[in-house]
Amino acid sequence: MSGLILENVEKRYGSACAVKDVNLHLPEGKLVCFLGPSGCGKTTLLRMIAGLETLSGGEIRLDGEDIGQTPAHLRNFGMVFQSLALFPHMTVGENIAYPLKLRGVSKADQQARVVELLELIQLQQMIDRPVAKLSGGQRQRVAIARAIANHPKILLLDEPLSALDAKLRESMQVEIRQLQQRLNITTIMVTHDQREAMTMADIVVVLGEHRVQQVGTPIEIYRHPANEFVADFIGSGNIFPATVLGNGKVSLPGGDALQVPICSSIVVGEKVKMLIRPEDLQLSQPQATAGNRLLGKVTFVRDIGATIETTVECSGVTFTALSTPCQGVGLSVGHPVSVTLPAEACRVLGA
Amino acid sequence: MSTLIKKRQSLLPGETGKFAGILSGFILLLAVLPILTMIVMSFSGSSNLDFPPSSYSLQWYKAAWHTFVSPDASDVLSLGKAMTTSLMVSCLTMVFATLIAVPAAYALTRCEFRGKAVAMQLMSLPLVFPMVVLGLALLLVFDSLPFQMTTSRLVIAHVILALPFVVKNCTAAMLSIGSEVEEAAQMLGASPLRAIVDVVVPLMKSGILAGMLLAFIVSFNEFTVTYFLYTIDVMTVPIWMYSRTVSSLDPTVFSFAVLIVLIDFVLIWALEKLVGEGGVSF
Repeated sequence: MSGLILENVEKRYGSACAVKDVNLHLPEGKLVCFLGPSGCGKTTLLRMIAGLETLSGGEIRLDGEDIGQTPAHLRNFGMVFQSLALFPHMTVGENIAYPLKLRGVSKADQQARVVELLELIQLQQMIDRPVAKLSGGQRQRVAIARAIANHPKILLLDEPLSALDAKLRESMQVEIRQLQQRLNITTIMVTHDQREAMTMADIVVVLGEHRVQQVGTPIEIYRHPANEFVADFIGSGNIFPATVLGNGKVSLPGGDALQVPICSSIVVGEKVKMLIRPEDLQLSQPQATAGNRLLGKVTFVRDIGATIETTVECSGVTFTALSTPCQGVGLSVGHPVSVTLPAEACRVLGA
Repeated sequence: MSTLIKKRQSLLPGETGKFAGILSGFILLLAVLPILTMIVMSFSGSSNLDFPPSSYSLQWYKAAWHTFVSPDASDVLSLGKAMTTSLMVSCLTMVFATLIAVPAAYALTRCEFRGKAVAMQLMSLPLVFPMVVLGLALLLVFDSLPFQMTTSRLVIAHVILALPFVVKNCTAAMLSIGSEVEEAAQMLGASPLRAIVDVVVPLMKSGILAGMLLAFIVSFNEFTVTYFLYTIDVMTVPIWMYSRTVSSLDPTVFSFAVLIVLIDFVLIWALEKLVGEGGVSF
C-alpha cells in the first residue's frame, strides 16, 4: 500500500507512556493534521515519524518499506520546527542550499534550485540576507523552502505557525495549504489550534490521552465526534447527560423527553452523553412545550457584537446558544425562553 | 519647587553612582598597583631593587635588549630559548585543551549520563586545588615513568590547568544553541557528526576562540606548577625571569615583565573584540 502507515506505534519513557496504539494510514499527497491538547503525544508521534525519536514498539512503513529504524538523516523527510531552526550563521540562500550541498549537488544546480524556491516563496531579493535580518513571516517561508529543497518524500510541520501573530498566522495557513496542494506533497502538521487544523487539513487525527481518538475529515470530526473527548475538544459544544428511553427518544435530567437520531449501538435504560452545538440551538419567545421545544430560563447573555451567546437553564441542563444579532429575540437574564433542539443536530456520543 | 525636584533627582541615582565610582576606582587601583610598580621599576636608574627608584633611566631596557640579542656565557639559558619554549608550550596547550574541551562541552550540555554533576565539579577542580600540591603530585607521577618527558610534561600540566577555563567558555556557548538546529541539519540529510561540524561548531565559534586565547594566556603566565616540572634546558619565560631575579637581583626582569604584560593586554583585548561583551567567563 502506498503512503505512510503507522502500525501499533508506541513510545514509552521508562514507565510513562507518551503515546500508544497508534494505527494510521496517511495517503499520498494529503495534508494530515495531528490535533490535540498539549501533552497528548502529538509532537512525540511526529518526531518518531521524523526519526528523531526511537520507537518503543510498532512499525512505520513508507510505501511498503519499514523505516522505523532508519536514522533521520537517511529518511529524506523535510521538517519545519516550532522554532524554525534556521541556521543563524548562514544566509537565506545558504540555508536553502544546505540539504543540496550535503548531497553533492553542483554549485550551479544548487543556485538554480535556490532561485526557484525563493521565487516560490516570493523572497527573490533576500538570497544574500542573513536570516537574523528577516521578519517572522519571511523566516517561516525560508524554513519551508529549506525543508522542501531536496524534494522530500514527506513534509513534517511541528506547530510551525505558533510564533506568528494571529493575523499573519491566518494568512500563512492559507499560503502553506496552497503550496502543499500545488506541490502535491504528503504533509503532516502538528497543531493544538483546531481552527488551523480545520483550515488546512484533508484529514484530522485527534489525539488525546496518549492515543488516537478519531480520524476523519475536518467536518466529520466537527459534526460526528466519535466520543466525548473529541466533542469537547473540537469547537464549543453542549455536552449533557441523558437516559435512553427507546423509540429514538432520550430523557433529560429534568425529565423532558427529546427525539434524537436513532442509533443502534445504544440500549434502553442506558445513561449516555449527548452533544448539541451552540449554533444549532434555537431560542424563541416562550411557547408551549412541544416535540423538541422545551421551556427554559435565561441565566446569562454575552453580547460581543458579532454574535450573541445566551446561557439557558433547561430541564436541569445548562445550554449555551449562539445566535447572530439579526436572529435576536431580545432576551434578558431571568426571562423564560423556549429552546428548540433539532433532532438531527443532537448527537449521542459513544460511551 | 523645581529646585527641590532637581535636588532629589541628583540625590537618588547620582549619589550611588558617585559611591560606586569611588569604590570601583579603588578596586581598579589595587588591581593595577603591581603593574604600575613594575613599570616604574623598569625605568629605574639605580642598580638595586629599591622602591621608589632614586633616579630614572632606560638602562634596564638596554640591558634586556642586550640579553635578548647576545646572551653572555654566564646565562644558564638564553631568553630567546625560554621564549621559544614558552610559545611552543602555550600553543600546544591551546590546541590540546580545545580539542578536549569542545567534545566535553558538547557532552556536558547535550548528553544525560550518570555522574554528570560530578564530572562538572571535577572539571573545575584545578581551579581550587593548591598549585604547589598539584605541581608536586605531577612531578612524582612524571618521575615515576620509565621514560623522560621534557616539554610534553609541561604541556600536559598546562592543559590540566587551562581546561576548566576552556570547558567553561565552550559550555556557555553550547547552552545558547538549541538542539533543534542540530536536528534540523539531520532532517536535511546531515549525519549526527556532520550536523555538529556544520552547525554546532560554527555557532560555538566565539566561545571556542575565547577558550583558546584563555588557554594560551593561562599557559604563558603559569609559574607554580611549571616550577616543579621544568628542566635545566627546558624552561618557560616566567621561570627564566624568576631564576634571574633570585640569582642576581637583576632589574632587567622588570623590562621583560613590561613586555609580557603588553602581550597579555593585547591578547585580552583581542579576546574581548572576538567575543563581544559578556561572552568570556574566566
